[in-house]
Amino acid sequence: MTRRFIGRAMVLALFAFPAMAQTPAKAPPILAGTWRNQYTPNLAEALGKEPPYTAYGAERWRTVDTSKDPTGFCLPPGPSRIFTAPFPFILMQQGDMISFLFEYQTLWRVVYMDGRPHPADIADYPDFMGHSVGKWDGETLVVDTVAINERSWLDTAGHEHSAKLHLTERIKKISEDKLEWTVTFDDPVFFTKPWSLSRSFTRFDDSKDRIMPYTCTENNRDVEHLKPNQPNLSYKYEPEK
Amino acid sequence: MARKLQGVIALLLGVSFAAIPAAAHHSFAAQYDRSKPITLKGVVTKLEWMNPHIYFFVDVKEGDRVVNWSIEGGAPSMLYRNGWRTDSLKVGDQVTVDGWLAKDGSNLANMRTVTLPDGKTVFGASSGGDTR
Repeated sequence: MTRRFIGRAMVLALFAFPAMAQTPAKAPPILAGTWRNQYTPNLAEALGKEPPYTAYGAERWRTVDTSKDPTGFCLPPGPSRIFTAPFPFILMQQGDMISFLFEYQTLWRVVYMDGRPHPADIADYPDFMGHSVGKWDGETLVVDTVAINERSWLDTAGHEHSAKLHLTERIKKISEDKLEWTVTFDDPVFFTKPWSLSRSFTRFDDSKDRIMPYTCTENNRDVEHLKPNQPNLSYKYEPEK
Repeated sequence: MARKLQGVIALLLGVSFAAIPAAAHHSFAAQYDRSKPITLKGVVTKLEWMNPHIYFFVDVKEGDRVVNWSIEGGAPSMLYRNGWRTDSLKVGDQVTVDGWLAKDGSNLANMRTVTLPDGKTVFGASSGGDTR
């Protein structure tokens, strides 16, 4: 009698709570490790065309002076440009936090994974590397970044952005030694619509190599030699239909 | 014929662009003039293995006087990963530097190749082979 009751109760429980009959929720994939970026000094070249500029964005691109590149003065490159610079980074994955430790300029990014929103006042306190929160979409890490200091540039070629830039990055492991990174730039001041670009990160063999020093202000002799350089003055704006 | 010529031009362009070192931290053209290649021969007086780019200095005879030129190379970590070390170039080494002249008219050049008297080159592939 008791045994039959327990048996019925178990069958009932399996119907009532199907999850109990399955294995526990799958743990997120391990993205941790040291990775090498795909150097991309000109996003438009990688995209195969110029991004969908607003008239204002197009004029900024036409008149940009590359001697004003903030990284030339050792200011931080910003959250997406650092993933396209030719230097490796360490991805750390710990509980409710994912962090990126970059060789380039010895910078870091933190992604809060505990479900918190961006701070309500974050726009008043922008950072060159922005403020990031993240979540898992299946096997993909989705990072949402705002409050990116508008003085940072998107690449060495001179693509710029406004304080309204909203970045969405999706990072997915496509093989043991490769991550795919897809970044979406949403900035209504510079672009008529969001646009995306994918790059890959390949595993960096840190048993044979190591993260090395990069203190940009150590000996930045370049600054005193920079001369105005406006390579896009002949650019003609054609709004994307 | 025309096609062949196009091929040659594309090859030449490819070679010259491939040889331009990656300047991750500033625009190449804001500091150097691609249309002004320069060859300097002289003696190394100093090497600064520091960030964001290495610099070394070469005494070059110009007529009766000796001019000390500054030469910019790649980032130390990139050079290290390509096998170069702080003693790959020593004070007193005789070198031939091929590179591009600075835009501001100073005695500064960005290196493309540095050749030692025995024909060996140093600090090549500063860009890690990825120069796009």
